[in-house]
Parts: sequence; structure tokens; C-alpha cells
Amino acid sequence: MKKSEFLAVVLIILATVGVIGGIFAIEKYRRSKLYTVELTARAPENGNWYPRQIKVPYGQEVTIFIRNIETVSHGFAIPDFNVAVREIKAGETAVVKFTPDKHGRFPFMCTVWCSDRHMEMNGTLVVK
Amino acid sequence: MKYRAFVLTILCILFSAGTALARSEKLFEVKAKKFVYTPNVIKVDKGDLVRIRLISEDVTHGLFVDGYNVQTSAYPGQDGSITFVADKAGRFTFRCSVTCGEFHPYMTGYLVVAPNSRFWGYVILTLVIGLGSIAFVFAKNRKEQEDGKG
Amino acid sequence: MEKDKLFGLIDLDARIELTRFKPIRWLLKSRWFPLLLILFNLAVFMVILIAGFVGGYSAGNYNFGIMVVWILWWVLLMFMLVPVFARAWCLMCPFPVFGDWFQRRGLFQVKPGNPNGLNIKWPKSLKNMWVMNFLFLGTTFFSGFFTVRPFATFILLGGIIMVAFLVGLIFEKRTFCLYLCPVSGFQGLYSQFGMTEIRRKDFEICKKHIPKTCFVGNEKGHGCPWLLTPFDFKKNTYCGMCLECFKTCPYDNMALNLRPPGVDLLADTKREPRGLDEAWKAFIMLGIAIVFFLAFQGPWGFIKDAVRATTLSSFLAYIFAHTVFNLLLIPGIFLVFAALSKLFSGNKEVPLKKVFVNFAYTLVPMGLGVWIGFSLGIILPNGSYLLHIISDPFGWGWNLFGTAHFPWTPVFTYPLGYLQGVVLLIFYIFSLAYGFRISKQTYPELNQAKRGWLPIFSFLTLITLVFLWLFLGT
Repeated sequence: MKKSEFLAVVLIILATVGVIGGIFAIEKYRRSKLYTVELTARAPENGNWYPRQIKVPYGQEVTIFIRNIETVSHGFAIPDFNVAVREIKAGETAVVKFTPDKHGRFPFMCTVWCSDRHMEMNGTLVVK
Repeated sequence: MKYRAFVLTILCILFSAGTALARSEKLFEVKAKKFVYTPNVIKVDKGDLVRIRLISEDVTHGLFVDGYNVQTSAYPGQDGSITFVADKAGRFTFRCSVTCGEFHPYMTGYLVVAPNSRFWGYVILTLVIGLGSIAFVFAKNRKEQEDGKG
Repeated sequence: MEKDKLFGLIDLDARIELTRFKPIRWLLKSRWFPLLLILFNLAVFMVILIAGFVGGYSAGNYNFGIMVVWILWWVLLMFMLVPVFARAWCLMCPFPVFGDWFQRRGLFQVKPGNPNGLNIKWPKSLKNMWVMNFLFLGTTFFSGFFTVRPFATFILLGGIIMVAFLVGLIFEKRTFCLYLCPVSGFQGLYSQFGMTEIRRKDFEICKKHIPKTCFVGNEKGHGCPWLLTPFDFKKNTYCGMCLECFKTCPYDNMALNLRPPGVDLLADTKREPRGLDEAWKAFIMLGIAIVFFLAFQGPWGFIKDAVRATTLSSFLAYIFAHTVFNLLLIPGIFLVFAALSKLFSGNKEVPLKKVFVNFAYTLVPMGLGVWIGFSLGIILPNGSYLLHIISDPFGWGWNLFGTAHFPWTPVFTYPLGYLQGVVLLIFYIFSLAYGFRISKQTYPELNQAKRGWLPIFSFLTLITLVFLWLFLGT
């Protein structure tokens, strides 16, 4: 009886604290391996891209992790580097990888009509 | 003579409703705005060639027609269009197929392909079952009563 | 006397005792059985809470919490858990586990002695469904948020589990489940239709058995947490199927039975009487189904705007209309038909209240059918989201089962209407079958029962036609 009680308590801790801790630990580990720049996508009236300007180093592979935290779909494109994600659905994420081979400032923008001010949903990529 | 013409007309109407012989083309311009379609109910006849032009007034919306499995999408400045032959009678929901906001799963409209034989079939079936049960109750219990007396 | 047979086929007293089979009996008597299920659901529940929290204000259709609760769980409840297994959800529900742990001073073990907590008795005047009726109706005011906003679901579910624990500190046993849980009420009422029951086998054994360990508990298990007397209760309504009585009975005298659907609808005893609270529960469930259909599956934008509160005034108008419709209008219409029934029957002695309450139970099969039809209209077009969310529960780009990019794919949308119609008809037939039996219980003479049945029959037919129109019509 004592042993079973102990087991039951262990199980309930696993089911609560274990699940919560485990999920966040896995995600933290996964992200540490994954991205260099995190970008949040929101329609202009709800905050636009965050950050609006991202800086990346020249000649090194860059990973951009994009989170759409809204209720409409967004897209992502950096035309100068031929990088694009056709649709990032609401609540989803996307990962793009590319190697900047040009110096300068380049626009990036949303490619899905997400709001009346969709055309304003753009930002700048700076390659140093 | 008059009677014959009348029957013929009726037959013709019934026949054309049931086949594609009298196929006509129907075009609808459906405007989509969070989270409603205008018009929200589209009525066509069975056999019609239906063209729907989807015009979005705010964000990217889609239109998927239940039962026909056709879909399109549109955003401001870029209309969508679908064309299909309405060969299945009944009422079908059409619904948004691109996540357009929090109420996206509830963005719906109706396509009614007349005659709505599914609905009327069920109505008749319900009444037959219902009235049948009443007749059964009255007949059976009368018998029981008589048996009880006898 | 001839046996009462449903549709002239199934003997209403027929039972298949599942506990006859050794493995099932062993399972039900094991203290691990409901506990492991509860712990599993608790783990799933934690995932739901996290998904609700990190999902925040993003779209609900790609959120694990929203989809598992409002698509999977709700649909399972309506399709299977309630109509077949009665209150089997309550058996595995994780919400009361912390309160139980605290009160019982053990998660697994059964300790002798007084329980922890204040163990206050719930006031007698509230030992019914009224509080749950209002709480459930109140919850549906915000359905335009709970079902689409992950964070709203997080608040709702997090709130309920907190309240469940707090009520466990103050009140005795499963007071929360019995009289407060918003979804307990309809499960109680609809489980009267359920095809499963827990009952004692042989009353003679129980009669001689003193003290009644199923009620007071012993070293093997706790006295009925749902405050029933397992040795003689007759209705599923308040039996949460927690299986403690299987553990506490030293004679293996408890049975888990399969039975014909709906037999509890005919039970009306002094200790478990039919009541206005349950009648109103039936009205509310029917009314909410109509309102939900209009708002969520209908094409009318202004209703959707009101439900999602684009303006405060339209939201208040919705709440007002919704409340009046459910609490007054539907019962009002039903009252007219009940009065007609009394008039038609020619019986002047039967109180109108009795006619009204008795016949309200005919709405139980009807209501279940309506909700199954409604749920079909949700699960078939939108069920494919489930494939996405099990692979990527938090929208973090996970792909656990390789289905994260499965597109939204409506299935069986052509047969959908036919299925809804068939379901409505099946439950309409059940309502008719039990309705006439209730009529015979209500009126002392057969002739009165027949005539008095006509208005109620008309009402049930009318409701069926209304839902046929909603699901298939225009």
C-alpha cells in the first residue's frame, strides 16, 4: 500500500510538473539549436513585424524563425535573396534559411493579404 | 385538351428540374468580409452551371463548397472563382477555407440546390413515422382494451 | 403481465451484466483503474493548459487546447461517452483529483479516520440542478470566445480546476461534481438515456449487510463520493461511475450493466423524483443547440458579430435574447403544449406541474439527437485540424507524428446532411417511444393517456421539423 501510494504521487507529479517542465525544456533545447533571428508577424494595426529591422552577418548561413501569433495568415519574402514562405497560418511558425551574399539594406514583407494595411507590413534586413 | 396541356407542363417542369437538359448558367458575385458572405444564401436549380466570383473586402478569404469539394480563395484586388455543375440537390454549407480571423471556422453561407429533395424527403419521413406511431398506439391499445374486457 | 418491450423488440428489463466477466470485474475493483485514467487525462489537460496559454490570442483552429476540448472531447461526449457509457467521463475527469487527494489524505491509499477539510454539507435547497443550469447557461454566453480564443479556454479550464479544488476544501466529497460543475448537469440528465448503468445485484444481500460499506467506506475504498446509496439507487443522474462501490462491497454485489437506452426516463421514485430543475436542463440544452447552430453553422453575420461581441450593445442583446429564449420562451411554449395535453386528456385531477415535468423528459432523447447532429456538422468539416494539432500542439513548429502540415480537409460533407437527418429521426423515434410510456404514467386511464399524448407528440414532431429545417432546410 505504501509503495503504491508513493508510485501514485510520483505519477501525479509527472503528469503535472513533469509534463509542463518537460515540454518547455524540450522546446528550449530545440530552439537553442534552431535559429539565429526570431521574427514575430502581426498585421500593421496590431504591431507589424517585430522587430521591424533585423541585422544579420555577411556570408554566414542565417536562420530566421517566424512566429505568426495572430488570427490571420501571413506570408514572408525577402525578394533580393529569393527567400519566401508562401503562407504562415495563424498560430503557426516557419523557418527560413539562407546565406546573405550581398551587403546593404533589403526589404522584407508579408505576402498574404492580411489586413487593410497589408501593404505597410514590411521591414528591413540589414547585411553587414 | 386543356387538361392534357396542363399535365404536359407539369411533367416538363418535373423533368427539367431533375435533369441537366434545361441547364442554365448562373453567376454570383460573393463578397467576403470578416466573417460573413454577401449574399449569404445562393439559390440555384439542379443542373445549373454555377459560377461564383469571390471578392474579398478585407483579408484573404476562401470559399469551399460542402458536398461539391470545390474551393477558391481571394484577397483585395485578386478575385477568386469557381465553376461547377450543381448536380446534387440539397442545401450545402459553403465555408471559408483560409484562416481569416478568430471566427474563421464559423464563416459560412448556404448553397441551396433546388429542389431540396433531402429536406422534404426527411420531412415526409418524419410525418409518416410520427403519424404511423400514433395510429399504432391507438389501434394497438384499442385491441388491448378489448382483450382486457373479453 | 406482459413485458414492456421497446419498439416491441427489446425488453426494458433486459440487462447484460459486464461484471460477470472476470477481467472486467478485476479491473473495476482495482484501485489503479480510474486513477491511471485520471492521471493520463491530467497530463493531457496540462498540455491543453500550456497550449491555451502560449496560443494566447491566435486563431483557435490551429490550437491544441481549443481543438481537443471543443472538437474532440465535446464530440466524444455527445457521440459515445454519454449515450453509451452514461457518465463515464466523470470516471476519468481530472478536475476533482486534487480535492480528492486533499480530502482523502492519500492519492491511492485509503486511510481510516476523518477526512481533511471542512466537509460542510451542501445546502439541501440547492441539491438539484439549478445552480448548474445557470452556470452552464452563463458559460455559453462566452462561447464565442471559449471556442476560438486559446487564452479564453485557458482561463475557463484553469478556473474550473481551481474552483473544483477550493470547493473540495470547504464542502464534503464530490460536492463540486454533484452540484456545481457546468457540464455535470447535462451529463446527469442525458445519462438517464445512457446504455450503461451501475446498480446493485441482489437486494437481499445488501439488506443483511450492516454497516453499508458502499456508503460509509471501508479499508478497500471510500464511501460513495457522489453521496448516493449504491445499494438502492435507481437513476444514473448523480452516479459519477467512480467505481468506489465495487471496491467497498465485500460481496461483489455491484454490477456494471448494459441496458436498453433510456430506461431511467421512466423512473420516478420518492428519493429520485423527476423535477423542474431537470426539466429546465432539458429545455436549456435544446435551446442552446438552436442558438449555437444559428450562430456557428448558420450564414447570418449579425448573429456572429453579436456572439463575438463586436459591440457591447449587440453582445448584451445576444445574452438577453439567449437567456430569455432558453429560460422562458422554450419552457413557455412547452407549457402551452402541456396544458393542451391536460385539456385533451380530460383528466382534471392531474396537476399541470406533473404533466409539464413528466413530459419534459421526452426531450432527453430528442436533445441528444440534436446535439449529435450539431456535432456532426463540426467534426466532419473540421476534424482534420486534429491531425495538425497533435503533431504541433503549441504552434512552435513541432512535427511529432509527421502530420503537422496536413491541410484542412473536410470529409463526408455530402453525406453530412443525410447523417444529420437519420440521427434526428432515430432519436425522434426514441422520444416517441418513451413519450407515450410517460403519458401512461402521467394519466391513470389509457384513454386519457392516448388523448393527452397527442399535443406532446405534436411538440416533439415540431421540434424535429425545426431541426430538420436548421440542418437541411430553406
